[in-house]
Amino acid sequence: MTHATISDRIRNVKISRRAALAGMGASAAMMAGPSQLRAQDTTTLRWWSPQSSPEQLSAYNFQIKKFEEMNPGIKVVFEKTSDEGYQPQLAAAFASGEVPNIVTHLPSFAVSDYWSNGLLEPFNDVIAAVGPEKYYDGANAIYEIDKGQFAGSGIGNSAANMLWLRKDLLQEANIDKAPETWDELRSACKAMQKGGIYGAPLPYAKNSMTTLTIIGFIHLAGGQVFSPDLDMALDSQATRDALEFYRSMRELCPPGATNYSWGESLTAFVSGATATGIYTGRALINVNKQNPPIADHVTCVTYPTISKDVASWTFNDFPSMFIPKAAKNMEATKAFAAFLYDPEGYIQQLHAAPGHVLPVLKTIAQDSRYQDNDIIKKYSSEVETMSAAAAAGHNLGWETPKHKPNVKAGAIVGSGVFAEMVQRVVLNNDNIDTVIGDTAKAIEGIMKG
Amino acid sequence: MTQQQKTPLERQYGLLGVMLIAPTVLVFCAVIVYPLVSAIYLSLFSIYTPTLKGDWVGLDNYAELLSGSEFWSSLWNNIIWTVGTLTLQIVFGVGMALLLHQNLWFRSLARSLILFPYFVSTVVAVLVWRWLFNDLYGILNHLVIFSGLSEMPLDWLGSMPNAMLSVIFVGAWKYFPFVVIAVLARLQTIPEQLYEAARIDGAGPISRFIDVTLPQLRDVLVVIIMLRAIWDFKEFDLIYLLTGGGPVISTQTLPLLVYKEAFALNRMGMASAYAVVMMAIMLVFMIAYIRRTGRADS
Repeated sequence: MTHATISDRIRNVKISRRAALAGMGASAAMMAGPSQLRAQDTTTLRWWSPQSSPEQLSAYNFQIKKFEEMNPGIKVVFEKTSDEGYQPQLAAAFASGEVPNIVTHLPSFAVSDYWSNGLLEPFNDVIAAVGPEKYYDGANAIYEIDKGQFAGSGIGNSAANMLWLRKDLLQEANIDKAPETWDELRSACKAMQKGGIYGAPLPYAKNSMTTLTIIGFIHLAGGQVFSPDLDMALDSQATRDALEFYRSMRELCPPGATNYSWGESLTAFVSGATATGIYTGRALINVNKQNPPIADHVTCVTYPTISKDVASWTFNDFPSMFIPKAAKNMEATKAFAAFLYDPEGYIQQLHAAPGHVLPVLKTIAQDSRYQDNDIIKKYSSEVETMSAAAAAGHNLGWETPKHKPNVKAGAIVGSGVFAEMVQRVVLNNDNIDTVIGDTAKAIEGIMKG
Repeated sequence: MTQQQKTPLERQYGLLGVMLIAPTVLVFCAVIVYPLVSAIYLSLFSIYTPTLKGDWVGLDNYAELLSGSEFWSSLWNNIIWTVGTLTLQIVFGVGMALLLHQNLWFRSLARSLILFPYFVSTVVAVLVWRWLFNDLYGILNHLVIFSGLSEMPLDWLGSMPNAMLSVIFVGAWKYFPFVVIAVLARLQTIPEQLYEAARIDGAGPISRFIDVTLPQLRDVLVVIIMLRAIWDFKEFDLIYLLTGGGPVISTQTLPLLVYKEAFALNRMGMASAYAVVMMAIMLVFMIAYIRRTGRADS
């Protein structure tokens, strides 16, 4: 489907007869009332996203403005949420019925959780409007929780646990290649930790980043949280190794890493306070904008594993898009959802943080307008590495291709049990076996609940 | 005894009284009784927050709550936080009020500026303090290293006991102006003759403070302590934004536990049970406050 085709579909949002009658009735009532009230004729769509850097906001505003121009009478309002705050905000929104029309950039496991509780509108119409053939093969499989019904769709891909490196610091430390194993990473961090620069910005706080990091480490140690049939598999040597590695890295992280979340961890690397980083491709634009002197020295690789025998495992959030079932103005909402993939605006959105959110449509990835970006050109090798890692990536909602979708993954991440596991082992020095046992029990409780 | 027959006028007055009090009763029911009854009702169910659907579990939530360690550790944290921050608020507040009661040349300006922490939004205050506590760029760590107290930056918010001490200190900084306002107002009404008499009797500054000022402040301090104890006990935003209850659950107080149950674990029924128990605990403070103010009125 061409750009014009999507736009044409969006332009003529159909309104049902009942909606039209209701609208006419409302209009008549408004005409009789004070003139200040007439502004309420406008249909307002609320759009929530935790991704709201100034560049992204600018891209969103472009998309909103264009959609509003094409659809007079529809107003779109963007509202920020956050990676740590979306769950309580959405819980309150669902409970009160005051839901946003569209939610983007939440991890896919959040979508499956809401879908399994009957809170979401099927996304099939939107996928059909965008054109299923445009997506990468299997890109929407993670959202097909019930056969033939899509809970949402991806608005992008992400490689959340890339290892970011400073080539200049590696060279100074006489390290000639990027670390591939945990031992090599530890040695490199030790060698580079000097002169006020710490080795790594791993998070040790009670938040989603710590949760996602330890889940990644368990996989990088060759383990998994659940078996493919979703039986508990946490109590394993791999989990012990992951926790031991996490603990061993503490002395190589800044003291305040006990309070680090995504923002602090990224800032530590971008500002030059740490020699390595763990993040998505957002590091690229932030380094170029905020710390240009190191911009020519940064690169990324997939995160090292416990040994070269274990394959790397990339945490892909599968940044999503979904529509709450209770959303008002459903037809306009779906039209807006489809419009967000319109190349002109979508590319601008992706360029707002190049490499951070990677395109989910192959037609966009191949589009010369997408490729025509200074950051993507300058770091083509890194973007390629991230794209490949994200394409093979997984998360707790879908640990490996053999796993069933885990609709409780969002609740498990939101509960903070994994982050507590890390804190108990690293900060409290609690017995690892006891902690793993307690964590497994807590997760089983959530799975049954 | 036979009941005396009411005249039509008296009956009309009675009806008028009911009509006049009705709006107040209705508002009271809407904003106090209804939420209270709802919370108690919800606490008897196992409810998934986003859908508000659930099953009747009776008193199971309370049994789980009382048998689990998290409630007791959160209650203990709540007590440490409340006692710690309240003590500092009273000490800072009384000290600052005494200072501002002196005839200083910048007194008017200082009296205005001292209210700043109390008026500034909690979110802004916490952001500022988090920046001050920052391990890499925070001025506190620069001072610590510069003064030679430590070679490495201190982890103010991520390890114990630093996290609890930091939260208590920031809480005291934020709320001590309330104590200053109340105590300063009372100080200005203490008759000067009492101090003159004490001086004639040979009392020094400390004796005058202990024997004249403190007894005069006693009533206002009791009310301040009661009110601030209630407010501090249910403090949520400042602690949540500073530490999120961490490390692990070391600074998690009961309001944070209620929030975690309701919105992180999506267990609204359990959260309501915690809230009801918390309300019962706060009732003790409230009864003490009501009895105290009632006695003062009488």
